[in-house]
Amino acid sequence: MTDEKKINIVLAGQGNAGKSSVFNYLTGLHQHIGNWAGKTIEKREGTLFYKGFTIDVLDLPGIYSLTTFSVEELISREYIISQKPDYVVNVIDSTNLERNLIFTLQLLELECPVILDMNMVDLAWRKGIAIDYQELENILNTPVVPTVASRGAGLTTIIDKIIERRRQRTGIASIRYGKEIESCIEQLILMLKDKELQYPARWIALKLIEKDAAITKAINEKYPGIVEKAGELNRSLEQIHGHDSSLVIADERSHLASQITRTIVKINRKKQVRLNDRLDAITTHKFYGYLAMILIMGGMFLTVFTFGNWLSGLFDTLFKNWHDWWNMNVGVTFAASLGWSAVESVLALIQIALPYILPFYIILYILEDWGYISRISFLMDHLMHKMGIHGKACISFIIGLGCNVPGCLSCRIMETRRERFITAVLVTMVPCSAVSVIVFGLVGKYVGLLWALGLYVFAMALVFLVGKISSKLLLGEPVELIMAMPDYKTPHVRTIVAQTWDSLKEFVYIAAPIVIVTGVVIQAINLAGWMPAISSFLYPVTVTWLGLPAITGILLIFGVLRKELILVMLAAYLGTSNFGNALSPQQMITLAVVSMFYIPCVATISVLWKDYGWKKALAVCIIEIVFAIILAGLVSRLLDLVF
Amino acid sequence: MSNKNQRISLIELEEGQAGNIVSIQGGRNMLKRLADLGLNEGAEIKLIGRTLFTGPVQVEVCNSRFVIGRGMASRIIVVPK
Repeated sequence: MTDEKKINIVLAGQGNAGKSSVFNYLTGLHQHIGNWAGKTIEKREGTLFYKGFTIDVLDLPGIYSLTTFSVEELISREYIISQKPDYVVNVIDSTNLERNLIFTLQLLELECPVILDMNMVDLAWRKGIAIDYQELENILNTPVVPTVASRGAGLTTIIDKIIERRRQRTGIASIRYGKEIESCIEQLILMLKDKELQYPARWIALKLIEKDAAITKAINEKYPGIVEKAGELNRSLEQIHGHDSSLVIADERSHLASQITRTIVKINRKKQVRLNDRLDAITTHKFYGYLAMILIMGGMFLTVFTFGNWLSGLFDTLFKNWHDWWNMNVGVTFAASLGWSAVESVLALIQIALPYILPFYIILYILEDWGYISRISFLMDHLMHKMGIHGKACISFIIGLGCNVPGCLSCRIMETRRERFITAVLVTMVPCSAVSVIVFGLVGKYVGLLWALGLYVFAMALVFLVGKISSKLLLGEPVELIMAMPDYKTPHVRTIVAQTWDSLKEFVYIAAPIVIVTGVVIQAINLAGWMPAISSFLYPVTVTWLGLPAITGILLIFGVLRKELILVMLAAYLGTSNFGNALSPQQMITLAVVSMFYIPCVATISVLWKDYGWKKALAVCIIEIVFAIILAGLVSRLLDLVF
Repeated sequence: MSNKNQRISLIELEEGQAGNIVSIQGGRNMLKRLADLGLNEGAEIKLIGRTLFTGPVQVEVCNSRFVIGRGMASRIIVVPK
């Protein structure tokens, strides 16, 4: 492979612009998801083989701005400046052109080759927005390509243009701002011109006027004179404009963005009221919005339960005779029974966990793709403030319903460290899909659906209570909510299938091996006759205090790896998934309560560790263990009165 | 609105009513964050809806929808249209 045939491009854009669709369409299965060095921020890379070219595609984190507010923003800008990608593909939400252009202007300031991917032009057209792409191309001196990334329309045009222009680092646009600012920039560029710099001089000048902390510090170390001069110029700018120089630049950008938008966009407002507008009005309404939320979330749980039970029953009939077959054909020796426990563990995983996890993810991704989760944030903001956080935390909570790991990771959307930590701790208490396996597969199936839903309500009430307490303990004012409200979109099947498959892949590659090893280990302990010793060690907690069978002790220990293990292993150990014979309703509910809260799973603990340090991670674990045991014991005693 | 030039806070607009932002009272970071989203002095802003109690408000600025916390919204001063 010669270098001639290698191109690297990065995708940059604001949240909700459809960057993931572009990335998935371009790279398909050739994806690699890792982390940025030393950060818990996802780094998505992939490769596209096209017309004999090898094109490396990097998906930068979705951001609003290229000023140093958040780690993502810093990462993105550092990458573009230092790695000098051949092209930056700026994915733009055409329905929100003006806001997206502000970001585009910031990208162009970096003086890198940019190509504009005007995404979702179909939605824009339906909204009555007509855009003059040619005019935009002329104004910005940057190629502009209309696309519909979810269908892949227009994406090859972008790649073709990149291949065509790859060697000419032209097309670097020159954006000019107001006269006073330009004169300041000019004076600074004069001073910066002959210095050794890692960044374009004009960009540094802009950042100095913007009072960007990182750049000001870096320049001040080498050339304090320039920073001093910038300070002088800033003060004069502030006198003219009457507010902070950093805002002067931001204002300039948004004025320019709105001026460009006015030139190239024609809006035919008279289009019919679309279905999505009506849905929007209902789902964010003062009263109906809350009603719709209860119906949607309730409907989700009901579907997961009904579908899960049906599929689980189907697998049950399918796997029924496998054990007899194994005993007949493989035998009942020590090795054979260890072998069977490995097989049985996997079967149990497929039969007990998969049927509930699968619909859960599908529905969550549909809600996300549709744009509903932002509506929940809007409706719940008031309640969230009572917990010292704001509405965006709901996004983390709902992701946490699927899996606590991405739930905790998503807490970085919160603005301050304090809020991030409170949200992360609360996410660990949100029952994830693994726990829902226990709640639905055990309590829902054998005690009653209302009890299962009751457990969810109970968990939500506890999250609220703990949030209230932690906001009192960790002092500080909650930051205000500022969030873009995306338009409703028709959920896109391809995206949802891809996302669900991603989550299931994790299930196959990580859960299955753990389940096999754990299954064999438990069976070995059992065959060796050590079970009573281990169980008796935990006897005071599991049997005396919680009133559960002694075997649950070892299940709860292994459950730290993955919580669905508790039920999967119980089925493997009992040799049947008919839990009705083994546990009383009261024991089922108690077991579910312990499983919900007793500790975050290993993967979640490691995220807490990385993001907040081992002390906080350990504290969370210990507090949750003690709390869950006390709570479940009390629940068990209360249930004595019911059953 | 009887007086066209009266200055009121964003949350005092009627649902569906638009106004021009004349000032925003907030810290530098907050103002910059808002400016990056297109909310700055002179911008036209429309109140789309509120929630119960003291929840956030939904607004429309340059054809995009945003949600802004009640506290912040009350510090955005507009002249209603």
